[in-house]
Amino acid sequence: MQKQRSLLALILVLVIAAIIVIVKIPIRLGLDLLGGAQLTIQVKPTQDVKQITPDVLEAVQRVIENRINGLGVSESLVQTVGQDQIVVQLPGVSDPQQAERVLGGTAQLDFRKQKPGTEAQLFAEQQIARELKAQREQLRKAGDKTKLAEIQTKINSSNEAIASLYERTNPPLTGKNLKDAFATTDQAAVNWSVALRFDGQGGDLFAELTKNIAGTGRTLGIFLDNELISAATVDVKYAQAGITGGSAEISGRFTVQEAQDLAIQLKGGALPVPVEIVENRTVGATLGKDSIQSSIYAGMAGLFLVLIFMVFYYRLPGLIADLALIVYSLLTLASFALVNVTLTLPGIAGFILSIGMAVDANVLIFERTREELRAGKSLYRAVESGFYRAFSSILDSNVTTWIACGALFWLGSGLVKGFALTLALGVAVSMFTAITCSRTLLMFAISIPELRKPEYYAPKKVEVSP
Amino acid sequence: MKLQVNKQRSRWWIISAAILISGLIAMLVSWAQIGSPLRPGLDFIGGTRLQYELDCQIPNNCSKPIDVGTVRQIVDAQGLTNSSIQVVGQYGLSVRTKERDLKVEQRTQLEKDLSEKIGTFDPNKTQIDTVGPTVGRQLLSTGLLALMISFFGIIVYMTVRFELDYAIFAIVALFHDVWLTAGFFAIFGVVLGVEVDSLFIVALLTIIGFSVNDTVVIYDRIREIISKDGNRAIADIVDDAVNQTLARSINTTLTVLLTLLSIFLFGGETLKYFALALIIGFSTGAYSSIFIASSLLAWWRERTGRGIPAPAEGLSQVDATSSNDASSV
Repeated sequence: MQKQRSLLALILVLVIAAIIVIVKIPIRLGLDLLGGAQLTIQVKPTQDVKQITPDVLEAVQRVIENRINGLGVSESLVQTVGQDQIVVQLPGVSDPQQAERVLGGTAQLDFRKQKPGTEAQLFAEQQIARELKAQREQLRKAGDKTKLAEIQTKINSSNEAIASLYERTNPPLTGKNLKDAFATTDQAAVNWSVALRFDGQGGDLFAELTKNIAGTGRTLGIFLDNELISAATVDVKYAQAGITGGSAEISGRFTVQEAQDLAIQLKGGALPVPVEIVENRTVGATLGKDSIQSSIYAGMAGLFLVLIFMVFYYRLPGLIADLALIVYSLLTLASFALVNVTLTLPGIAGFILSIGMAVDANVLIFERTREELRAGKSLYRAVESGFYRAFSSILDSNVTTWIACGALFWLGSGLVKGFALTLALGVAVSMFTAITCSRTLLMFAISIPELRKPEYYAPKKVEVSP
Repeated sequence: MKLQVNKQRSRWWIISAAILISGLIAMLVSWAQIGSPLRPGLDFIGGTRLQYELDCQIPNNCSKPIDVGTVRQIVDAQGLTNSSIQVVGQYGLSVRTKERDLKVEQRTQLEKDLSEKIGTFDPNKTQIDTVGPTVGRQLLSTGLLALMISFFGIIVYMTVRFELDYAIFAIVALFHDVWLTAGFFAIFGVVLGVEVDSLFIVALLTIIGFSVNDTVVIYDRIREIISKDGNRAIADIVDDAVNQTLARSINTTLTVLLTLLSIFLFGGETLKYFALALIIGFSTGAYSSIFIASSLLAWWRERTGRGIPAPAEGLSQVDATSSNDASSV
């Protein structure tokens, strides 16, 4: 009895905790429910870059991230998938065409020289750009979409204003000529800088470019996708021949992080690897809302039908199974929030399905209990052995479901993974609720004398076999 | 009422064989028509599906329903002659290109042309699915691989938990269920043009899990009866096991079907055929566990001489069974 009480208390605590979790931590919704675009970008090898290594992929990922920043989307997600793919999620994006155009091109890195007489202007424009970007960071954290879009328009025009202060050399020095870029440091490891290595032609062009601006106070601008990512002055000592030898160092008061960041950006732009959008799933915001609506209806209807069926067929144990099922639903939803499952449409289907399957354990147990009662056992012993003897069936049947879920999870893509994870979690929680929750409640019911009538547990049935 | 599975097992086998063969015929017909046993959807062969809806908030935008002919002209003008075009409701439009994905420029052009002739679309109700052919093949092969891995995993698990012959017949039963469901969708594909996508593979995997689940419960009972009271004819034991677990089989299938029915009715367009596949597969799963997996096991044990117990005791038991049979027929 004492054990029953403490288990009941535990279940109560879990239920309350689950409700708090569900209220406090919103379950992340997939783009098919939220509305938005999911793009899969394929990175393609070329003659120069024969293999897509993790380094290459990371560099391209950085380029893609830069471009997404330029789109002004809040809460975007960029992930590498497999060896040569990048998946981009853009929730609530209203113009997938623009996103595709911006994300789908090869990165453009080039080196330009500042036009004479624009020093003051550049300083002012850079100041503005810095402020705008700081504002953008804040807005992105706050998730304010309209303001974010406004800021982005301003940033775009600021970028153009800065770009207009520079001119390309002829022939242009581009990312094609850059062989490598990496973060480096002096002996003391205090000041970090970014080292550049050019190919033969690039080295010559770079010398020419730096000779032009050395000692003038004008800067060498490095542009990635038309956005200035670095502006460095060149010391007067290079005014004679420029920086020769095909290698250079951009020094500043970089931290390790900043230096590495710039190096990766440069590398990404230097790689002439084409990217292609090979998959695009875009769902309009209203459509997503409709899907949520219909899945709520489906879930409610499913739950309701199962609840009614159980009471109708199993009487008092059915009612207890219903309670356990509601506990199950709460715990499962809470576990989705805790494990941070992204709920997609198939995921919801998996959850609804698991409601139907969750009663299986109860059905197994109650059927066993009925049998034992008919065999003449006492109520208490019948319930006890019902639980005891149904367990191996419950375990076996759930393990086979997990095997199928495991295969889906390891091999499936985004949507399919969601289904597998929700179903597997559901099955795990259902085992717990069937074994602890139904059992405790049933034992508790038996301890109340008024509820101890066998006909509440097994309707009288005309027996055929002796 | 006592169900006598083993007495008429050839009948169940013939029923199943007939359904399986008709599924096979549908797959062959489908193969002859489109070169594939099931009609593959966007997910597997690639292509672009565009769904638009007119924005009826704008005055005069929804003055007349969308005309398929007009859309066809515009789509053909883009060189997408093979595309299928569907008007959904009055103001919804679905365009699906065949086996080639539209690049963003082509799509923008198509969208612009459609908007000019038909009216402004509501971007919040637009749905775009573009899958490149390589991605499609990748989805198909990983899907099939997932199917095979779970087949294998289940065989191993069943062999460990039971015995090899149990495992094999459980696999036969789930093969039966997968084949049957696929057969139904082959028929749907030929008759109604229903396509299968990655959700269909998900459905098949779920069916596998559920089918084995059902079989396991019956096998569990067979094993229990054998260990307690093994000196009976195997057919009798299997019949008993099936009957003792029958209420559970029916009720569990029923509760799952109730939830699936609600997904089918209220779950929206995307999940409709997914739910249908599961409804077919789960019903079949219950059927095959009761009538196929268990009767095959009994048949096999009889054949290999493990089904008949020691003569002296067995004789009286067999007698009892046969008299029982006579009374219920």
